[in-house]
Amino acid sequence: MNRSHETEPLLRAVDVFKSFPVNKTGLFSRNADLLRAVDGVSLEIYPGETLGLVGETGCGKSTLARCLTRLHHLSAGTVQFEGRDISSLSRRELRPLRREIQMIFQDPYGSLNPRRRVGSIIGDAFAIHGIEDSSSRKRRVQELMELVGLNPEHYNRFPADFSGGQRQRIGVARALALRPKLIVCDEPVSSLDVSIQAQVINLLLDLQKDLHLTYLFISHDLSVIRHVSDRIAVMYLGKIVETAAADVVFDSTRHPYTRSLLSALPPADPDAADARERIVLVGDLPSPVNPPLGCRFHPRCPKAQEDCAAVDPPLAPVLADPPEHLTACLHPVELDEDLSATDPAIVDPSLLNSLGTEQGGLP
Amino acid sequence: MTMTTTAAPVTETPARIEGRSPWLLAWRRLRRDRVAMVSLAIIVVIFLVAVFAPVVAALTGHPPNEQYRQTGLTPDGLPRPPSGTFLFGTDDLGRDILVRVAYGARVSLGVGVVATLLTVVVGVVIGVAAGFLGGWVDTVLARLIDVVLSLPFLLTAIALVSLSGPSLTLTVLVIGFFSWSSVARIVRGQVLSIKEREYVEAARSLGAGDLRIMAVDVLPNVLAPVIVYTTLLIPVVISVQASLSFLGLGIEPPTADWGGMIAESRNYYQTSWWFMFLPGMALVFTTLVFNLLGDGVRDAFDPRVDRLIRK
Repeated sequence: MNRSHETEPLLRAVDVFKSFPVNKTGLFSRNADLLRAVDGVSLEIYPGETLGLVGETGCGKSTLARCLTRLHHLSAGTVQFEGRDISSLSRRELRPLRREIQMIFQDPYGSLNPRRRVGSIIGDAFAIHGIEDSSSRKRRVQELMELVGLNPEHYNRFPADFSGGQRQRIGVARALALRPKLIVCDEPVSSLDVSIQAQVINLLLDLQKDLHLTYLFISHDLSVIRHVSDRIAVMYLGKIVETAAADVVFDSTRHPYTRSLLSALPPADPDAADARERIVLVGDLPSPVNPPLGCRFHPRCPKAQEDCAAVDPPLAPVLADPPEHLTACLHPVELDEDLSATDPAIVDPSLLNSLGTEQGGLP
Repeated sequence: MTMTTTAAPVTETPARIEGRSPWLLAWRRLRRDRVAMVSLAIIVVIFLVAVFAPVVAALTGHPPNEQYRQTGLTPDGLPRPPSGTFLFGTDDLGRDILVRVAYGARVSLGVGVVATLLTVVVGVVIGVAAGFLGGWVDTVLARLIDVVLSLPFLLTAIALVSLSGPSLTLTVLVIGFFSWSSVARIVRGQVLSIKEREYVEAARSLGAGDLRIMAVDVLPNVLAPVIVYTTLLIPVVISVQASLSFLGLGIEPPTADWGGMIAESRNYYQTSWWFMFLPGMALVFTTLVFNLLGDGVRDAFDPRVDRLIRK
C-alpha cells in the first residue's frame, strides 16, 4: 500500500521529548530523577492513512499519543498539525485544535463518566464548543449513535447499562462528534474480547473509509496493528526503532527488536508453528529512568556487538532500504538471517550458571 | 447514514428506555433498608416538632420562656414532676420542659443542618480545588487543612466565645470552621484519584476547561462519599452544639436548647430526674436516628456483596 508521501503530512512530530520527575526525595527538594517516557521521537502521519504504533507495555506509546494531541506539555521538540506548530499553544489556543484531533481511549469503563447519560457524554463536544442548540444536539447525537452501531433509543442510558464493546462505540461516537481529521486510538481494543475486538476494528476501518479519517493506532498487539495499519512505527523504551510500510515491517524487518516481536506472533498455520523462528528476549524492559547507554535494546538484543553499547544508532535507512524504511540499528537483520540460534550477547553470568547444562536443550 | 454490516444495532427493546441513574439506584437500595427508612421517618417527625414548636406551646398553653413560679415550682422552689399540667415536668425556674425541648429542637436541628451545609460546601469547594488544580494551590490548601486539623477545638472555641460572647451565629461559624477541613481532606483524596480517570482526559481532549471538568466530571463523582459524610456529620454537629451550650458557649439564655437544659439540670438530677430526662433523651435519640440513617445511606451508596448476603 503505497501512499503518495509527496503530500504534506497531517501531523509531524520532530524530536519530541517528554519526561516526568520521579523519586522526588524531600519535601522541598527540587532534585528528582527524570523518567524519560518519550525520548526524541520524530514521526509523520499522512492524511487518510493509519499509522500503527506498536511496542511493549510501558514503552511510552500512550505518553507519545498524549504529547501529539497536546494533552501533555512537551518537554522538548515540536508537533506540527497541518504545518502549524502546536507544541507551545496554551489551553485556550488549543481549543480550536480539539475539533481537529480527537482521541479514543483504552479503557471503555474508565473513559466514560459513570454518572452521566450516554446522550450527554456524546453531546459533550457540542456543549463545550457551543455548536448545535439543544434540540438539534439530540438529533446529532442520535445520528452519531446510529453511525457507530448503537441504538439511538438508548440515548438516556448510563454507561453501566452497556457492554464493553458498546461502551467503546460510545467512545468512538464521542470522538467523531466534532468531525476531526485525526483520531488517535490509544489501544482502543486491548481491553475487549477478541470477538468484540474485530467488530470495533471493522467499525473504525469503515468509518475511516466513509469519513476520510486519519488514524494513529496504538497497540501492543501486532496482529491488530497488521490488520489496520498502512505504515507501522515500532517503539522501544521511548524511541522509535523502526518505521516502514506495514507489509515491509512484516516481511523484511531490519530491527532485531521488531523481529523478536514478530517471532512471538502465532502463525496462521499450526503445522508451521514448530518450524518458525522464535526469539526469546532475555531480561526485562530496562527502566526509562536509567536507560542503557548506546542502543537501548542492546542488553536484550541477540545481535548486539560491542559498539552497540557505545553508539545510539540514528533512525535512518539501513542496508539498501528505500528512504521510507527507517531503522535505528547498527547491525540490522538480513532477510534470511535466523536470530533464534544466536545467543544474546550479554547475559547475566549468574543466570548462565543457574541454567547449567540444560542450556543447550532450550527450545 | 452508512450503516455497516459489522456495526449491528443493539437488539430492540420495545419498552421505554430510560437509564437508571446511580442516584436512583442508591435511593432504591436505601428504600429497602428498613432501619434507615424508620430513622428517616423519625427525623421528619423531629423536624415537624421543631417547625411546629409554637403549636406545642399553644396546645399546652405554656410559652417556652414563661416562668410559672406558683404552679411550676414546689413550695421549696424545686422543679415539679410530670403531671397533667406539665407533661414532662418543669425546670428550676418553673418552665414547661416539654415546650422547651420542642423549641430546643429548632436550635439543635437548625445548627445541625446549617453548620453541616456550611462545612460541606466549604470543604467540597476547597477539596475539589486543591485536588484538581494541584500545584501550589494544593500545597497551600493542604497545609491549611493540616493547620486547622491541628487546632484544639474546645480551647479555640472557648477563646472565641470569651472574646465576643455566646451567640448562635458564632456557634455555627465555629463548628463550620473546625469541620470543613476533614470534608476537604476526604474530597481532595477522592478528586486526586478521579482526575486521573480517562473520562477527565476525554473531556480535556474535547476542549473542556477546568471549571467545566470540575463541575461536570469531578463533582458528581465525589458527591456520593460527601452525602454519606454529611448524614453522619449532622449528629456530630448536633452533639457538638449541645456540648458548647452545656459549657455555656452556645446561645444566650433564656433561649431553650438541649445542651443548655442539660447544663441547668446538673444540680437537680438527684431530686428531679425529669429535668434531665427529656432533653437528654431528645439529644441521644436524635443523634441515634441520624447515625442510623447515615449508616443506611453509606450502605446504599456502597453495595458490597457481603452485605447483600447478610440481608
